[in-house]
Amino acid sequence: MGRYVLNRILRWIPSVFFILLVVYALVFFGAGDPIKLIFLKAPGDVAYDEARIEAIREAAGLNRPFLIQFGDYMLHIMRGDFGNSLVSGRSVNEMIKAAVPVTFSLGLAAIAIIAVIGTILGAIAALNQNTWIDNLIVGFAQFTWGIPVFVAGPLIIVFLVLVLKMDVPFGWAGFFSPKIIVPLIVMGLNPMAIIIRQARAGVLEVLSEDYIRTARSKGLPTKTLVIRHILRPVLTPVVSQTGLLVIGALNNSILIEKVFGLPGLGWLTENAITRSDYPVILAIVFIFSFVVMTSNLLVDISYPLLDPRAASKKKGED
Amino acid sequence: MSELLVVRDLETQFKVRAGRLHAVNGVSFNLRQGEMLGVVGESGCGKSVTMMSLIRLLPPSASITNGTVMLEGLDLVKANKEQINAVRGSKIAMIFQDPMTSLNPFLKIGIQLSEGLMYHRKMGKKEAYERCAQYLDLVGISNSRQRLEEYPHQLSGGMRQRVMIAMALVCEPKIIIADEPTTALDVTIQAQIVELVKELRDKLDASIIWITHDLSLLAGMVDRILVMYAGCIVEEACLRDLYKDPRHPYTIGLLESIPRIKDHENRRLKSIPGQPPNLLEKPTSCLFASRCTFKTKRCEREVPSLASVPGDVEGSSHRIACWVDTRGRQ
Amino acid sequence: MVIETKKKAIDEEKQYSLFRDAMHRLMANRLALLGLIVVFLVILIAIIGPFITPYDFLSQDLNYRNKPPSIQHWFGTDDLGRDVLSRVIYGARTAVIVAFSVTILSYLIGIVLGSLAGYLGGKVDSFVVWLIDVFMSIPSLLLVIVINVSIKPVLVNWMDAKFLETHNQFFRNTTWVDFAIVFGSLALIKWPKAARIIRGQILSIKNKNYVLAAQAIGVPTSKIIRRYIIPNSIGPFIVSISSTLGEAMVLESSFSFLGVGVKPPIPSWGNMISDGLRVWQVYPHILAAPAIVLAIVTISFSFLGDGLNDALNPRQWK
Repeated sequence: MGRYVLNRILRWIPSVFFILLVVYALVFFGAGDPIKLIFLKAPGDVAYDEARIEAIREAAGLNRPFLIQFGDYMLHIMRGDFGNSLVSGRSVNEMIKAAVPVTFSLGLAAIAIIAVIGTILGAIAALNQNTWIDNLIVGFAQFTWGIPVFVAGPLIIVFLVLVLKMDVPFGWAGFFSPKIIVPLIVMGLNPMAIIIRQARAGVLEVLSEDYIRTARSKGLPTKTLVIRHILRPVLTPVVSQTGLLVIGALNNSILIEKVFGLPGLGWLTENAITRSDYPVILAIVFIFSFVVMTSNLLVDISYPLLDPRAASKKKGED
Repeated sequence: MSELLVVRDLETQFKVRAGRLHAVNGVSFNLRQGEMLGVVGESGCGKSVTMMSLIRLLPPSASITNGTVMLEGLDLVKANKEQINAVRGSKIAMIFQDPMTSLNPFLKIGIQLSEGLMYHRKMGKKEAYERCAQYLDLVGISNSRQRLEEYPHQLSGGMRQRVMIAMALVCEPKIIIADEPTTALDVTIQAQIVELVKELRDKLDASIIWITHDLSLLAGMVDRILVMYAGCIVEEACLRDLYKDPRHPYTIGLLESIPRIKDHENRRLKSIPGQPPNLLEKPTSCLFASRCTFKTKRCEREVPSLASVPGDVEGSSHRIACWVDTRGRQ
Repeated sequence: MVIETKKKAIDEEKQYSLFRDAMHRLMANRLALLGLIVVFLVILIAIIGPFITPYDFLSQDLNYRNKPPSIQHWFGTDDLGRDVLSRVIYGARTAVIVAFSVTILSYLIGIVLGSLAGYLGGKVDSFVVWLIDVFMSIPSLLLVIVINVSIKPVLVNWMDAKFLETHNQFFRNTTWVDFAIVFGSLALIKWPKAARIIRGQILSIKNKNYVLAAQAIGVPTSKIIRRYIIPNSIGPFIVSISSTLGEAMVLESSFSFLGVGVKPPIPSWGNMISDGLRVWQVYPHILAAPAIVLAIVTISFSFLGDGLNDALNPRQWK
């Protein structure tokens, strides 16, 4: 088991490395000169003093070959230093430290809540297949899956404020304030639909298995049947689907933070884009890739834990 | 030896896209305490559905539309959920056909064996596991205590079927229904399981219903046999009578189609011509008529009911559902 | 057992071809039907749009800014006096053009790579699978952002240079670059999904018993493809195309919302929502119109997609 984990980690490192390399290269070869960008605001501007710009570039080490610059950057990252913002000069580390709790706490809370509620709803739908309960839940899932967050968010805000006359749910007041409720709900809508669907499909599939018939033939009470015999097999696909949600959550965080004015990573990203703040962008790419890869890793590790058949196969690998 | 189970006029139907499928058409039989009953018929004749209807173990698209199943004064057809659950596993237990898929791969053997015991007999875990280990020993599985902590995929097919048998026995039910328990196994394992069941039968006091499509399997094992076709019982007899004096054309055809070692090399295998009937309509005539070499006009107009064979004492144990007297015509 | 009798009975009764059967089921699903109608409407509007808009979507009337809905302006006007209804109608065009182009593009890539992986197997397959995994781990927003930041300026500079060279008006218009980048990045995001489906279909069918049986009796490969592989893949193929269309539409509007997609003055529902977010408390109609329309369209795609899935991949006998 330990070897399996190690194996997975070893595969994870090159992937992150690769992504970072590609992004760094894109930024390096593409966007052009950070120094120039500071001084030249519009296309077609002519640098007022080429020599001066060259000197600054030389001093900043921007004339070294690509690989050396990249290597240098990687070394810095491994020491945990992401450099300074091109725009504000502040340490990128600080900016990120401030933003991460916002995004992560919201994201994790949303995913955790959705996974649990979604699974329960999906199971209820499957167990009452083709009744009004099922249709209601499935219809709800179809409905919420369709609407993108940046549409649902504003519509809900408009509704709450203009119709219900509530306060505008804008801004971040810490994780435990009521202001977090609306963004949390909006963030949860799309993923919940996916989990509901997955759980429902999973339960339906398990229901048609022979071993459920065996369990029924033993006259077990429904509660035992559902919790012990039905939910356990369903955990595997649900957990892996939850892992996939992480990417969606990262994407959505960028959108939600704009809609609700939350100072998280998404908001940082948007600012960095509009001002071409490369160190920030690169740092964020790294963090996002790290998060995604880590969640994939966790999902992979969970398989042998959840499915005894997979566990034996892994032992076989050893 | 009294009547333990009394089934009368049982009818079960499935809702399908093309209408209603009449899977069980008026089945009636009794089961005595300690008796071993064989149920034989081809695929699709309704033998499994009939027996599963006894404990209402049916998919949502199926429903029992008529009949009674009396067990110890309770009509299982009309019983409520609690009553039926109290019967399942505890008074009537089932062994299923495919051991590879009938055990939950996510749960340890110990849990699957003991949960019925803990629920029906209100036993604690320790006591239940003790009992389970004993039964594993009984069905011939070594290292029983260790096996309880293993998962199904760690056992072979034969072993899993033994576990299924132990699972059915562990609550000491009065009736055990074995639905083709050896069909999915190798012939050698099949023989072992049959031997096992014969042994157990002597030790236990339970009645056993053994469903199979292989008539030759039942020889030397069961007391009585029901022959089913198209959702009806067509012949009912004790073992000796069925093999020595089969009366229903279908039974006769079945027996003749069994290849024998003593057969002439060039003799063609005999089979029953024709196809099983379409069960979308309620039967209004004998459903075997189209394939029957003895058929008469009456066969095509009326559904024959199960009655004592011609020539026998009224109320005898040998009955057929047929309008024709096949004695001497074979 | 009973199922064989069932099947035989039905076969004898009617001959249902897969297509007719599917159409039957689809038509019976009212929600899916609704979705289908809306989608058709949107496509229709996209085509005839500019001919039915009451006003040109660009024309500004500075005397009529921010007017609420009225008889002359059914959806009101925005802060540059442009008719919101016309812009919403044109937005349909943007959405449809992008969605279709992206779907076609990503499926071209996906079919090529997916088929290569499926047919050739071995190292080629491993490589393609790895590529798919890497691409799917990148949050789509991030990818588009990075591309926008890095490649776009290069292209713009190139266009500028070309313009100076040739004085061809074509190079002046940067909207082409915008669109090309949007298509390109969206296609890069969507192709893994297409490739996966194609590959999955090829792999699963390649090993199906009826294909092996056909090969065993000497049926030529082309016939196998035509008679077995294509008819059996069409179901999932259609489902995934329709869902890709819907997803591409959502992606495009998300990016436009963030400012990295279609930029004003070309109306996209996404950038209209973004504009509306700034003034919704005073002029809610500017936000509400595109938001509600987008919501309706995406939900319709959701219903339609589910309906198609149920129709073409039936799993339960009702």
